[in-house]
Amino acid sequence: MLNASYFDGQSARQQPVSLRIVEGQLEVLGTDFVRNEPLDTVRISAKLGNTPRLLHFADGGHCEVRDHQGFEALFHESGFAQHTLLSRLENGWHYALAATALTIGFIVASYIWGLPWAADKISTQIPAGVSLAIDNHFLEAVDEGLMQPSKLSEKRQQKIKQKFESLRNEEGVPAYHLKFRGSKDIGANAFSLPGGTIVVTDELVALAAHDEEIIAVLTHELGHVSERHPLRQLLQSSVVGLVMTWYIGDTSTLLAAAPTALLETSYSRNFERRADQFAANILRQNGIKASRLADILEKLESSHTGKKKKEKEKSSHPVFELFSTHPDTDERIRTLRGK
Amino acid sequence: MQTQELRLSFTGKGGEYFVIWIVNLILTILTLGIYSAWAKVRRMQYFYRNTHLADSSFDYHGNAIAILKGRLIGVGLFGAYSVFLQLMPLVGLTILLLIFVIMPYLLVLSFRFRLYNSSYRGLRFNFVGTVESAYVTFLALPFATMATLYLLAPFMHQQVKAYQHNNSRFGQSSFSFSAGAKSFYKIYFFTFMQFVLVLALFGYGAYMMYSDYIKDMPREAIVGVVMAVYVLLILASLLIVPYFMSRIQNLVWNSTSLGEHRFTSSMTAVGLGWVIITNFLFIVITLGLFKPFADIRLTRYKIEHMAMLPAGSLDDFIASEQQKIGATGTETAEVFDVDIGL
Repeated sequence: MLNASYFDGQSARQQPVSLRIVEGQLEVLGTDFVRNEPLDTVRISAKLGNTPRLLHFADGGHCEVRDHQGFEALFHESGFAQHTLLSRLENGWHYALAATALTIGFIVASYIWGLPWAADKISTQIPAGVSLAIDNHFLEAVDEGLMQPSKLSEKRQQKIKQKFESLRNEEGVPAYHLKFRGSKDIGANAFSLPGGTIVVTDELVALAAHDEEIIAVLTHELGHVSERHPLRQLLQSSVVGLVMTWYIGDTSTLLAAAPTALLETSYSRNFERRADQFAANILRQNGIKASRLADILEKLESSHTGKKKKEKEKSSHPVFELFSTHPDTDERIRTLRGK
Repeated sequence: MQTQELRLSFTGKGGEYFVIWIVNLILTILTLGIYSAWAKVRRMQYFYRNTHLADSSFDYHGNAIAILKGRLIGVGLFGAYSVFLQLMPLVGLTILLLIFVIMPYLLVLSFRFRLYNSSYRGLRFNFVGTVESAYVTFLALPFATMATLYLLAPFMHQQVKAYQHNNSRFGQSSFSFSAGAKSFYKIYFFTFMQFVLVLALFGYGAYMMYSDYIKDMPREAIVGVVMAVYVLLILASLLIVPYFMSRIQNLVWNSTSLGEHRFTSSMTAVGLGWVIITNFLFIVITLGLFKPFADIRLTRYKIEHMAMLPAGSLDDFIASEQQKIGATGTETAEVFDVDIGL
């Protein structure tokens, strides 16, 4: 005898019943009724955690059983119901462990290999107009506060532009747009954007001891542009952001942005190394030592960590320094000097 | 007739659901996403069957093939839009427009599917909202809302909930919704004020950081103070969303009745915020593995803060004619499911 609740499918009345199997028929015995159902017409729900087991009858009635041991004894041990593959998977801890390991492996592999590969492929398909629009949008946003118009004279800007333009490269030079900006908040810096815009700050121009150092930094940025690093980076972080939002979305969309920022703040070491190689190659072709890039990198590093306070860097606020540490820079400098 | 309130209870367990979740996930990955429809059925069944009211549980009857069809249509539409936007922008935009235009219809299908495939004590729920009203609620109103710079947003929210709840059925009994737009405006207003307050405090903090007063302090002290203030502010701002969610949920269920029966919901901003924030922290710490536990915790919090105030015996509900005719299901509700959460 197995206790259950019976519902006739016509009303919400809950009736206590007892179940037993008599000659291949399921007998449902209520206080004021009895019904016999051939077992092959009864749909028996598969085990799903500790949720009630359900027996559905052809006419829409059903029984709800909460006594799992009793259910097991009445239906499974007597061979009237089989455990499904799924419930077996869900009830063996080693399957769960294997599934966990496999899933983690899959996600890690997608992140390390799949995502960069896909971003690389997709980045070649995005029309130049679209990525240029992204650049302009970005510049508009930062020009409203974070950055100011450059204070360099028109002559000085032209001189740097001309020197940079005159660089020769066997494999050709990608399309780029050089922009000068001043920025007290960012300090000495240069960066490239998805559409090929390269921005260099007045502070970097001031920091450089020799014009070749400026050219070296610009060539490094050109290396990023040449391999579409900014666009690939943008695509990668957008995908990570989307997945994060979808995954944690139920919890709170607001919070989902945080881990994305942590995962995708800076270029991978690989991107930096490739851009360094690109720069070193072009610089050599034009008779400039690759160590020029190392020199300016060193100065940038110390200007941002604040070791050289005398460099009139008082405008950089201590709070910003918390977020700017470049552990790989020493290694990059050594490599560039070794060439 | 005054009867005792019936509390809803939720018996899902994190560890148990974790295994179901991870098996779902790996099978979905191995089948390139196709299994996700079956995974959804299993997930829904786990949550429904663990939800109890008056000694009986709920159940979910969604058909995985119908869910798969809906997902394929969704992926197809979105995929066509993204591809054509690159190759032929005009065609892409036309598809986007098409998506907007059929969205209300898809929503109606989705409500029907979800409700018709939900049952309690063997009786099916149902959704009887018309497509015409859906177009007013989900196409005309959003346009009006945008045109009024979102001043109509609380009104639209009220209209959406009224449309959903007034058109829901359990067996032959109708749900009804009594909250007016005024109560929605109140919640939106207080949420907005909290938002403004936190924003003002953030702004003041940023101003202080640059002021001369703070420049003379030792660096460690500045960083310490700034960090402390911002952590407090972030915590406060993190409570705004739970505040909004809990107030809306409470309002919606306190204003809903089923026949003569009524419901109550008593979530609090702090209670819900605690669940959401700790869930988030644990998900980050465990690199995502806490997700199934988080789902269980959030569902438990929401369900266990709801109760039914019965006006009579729950035994008296009667199955709809629709359900009596075909015990397995009706064509209209089984076309396909669309995963649109509202």
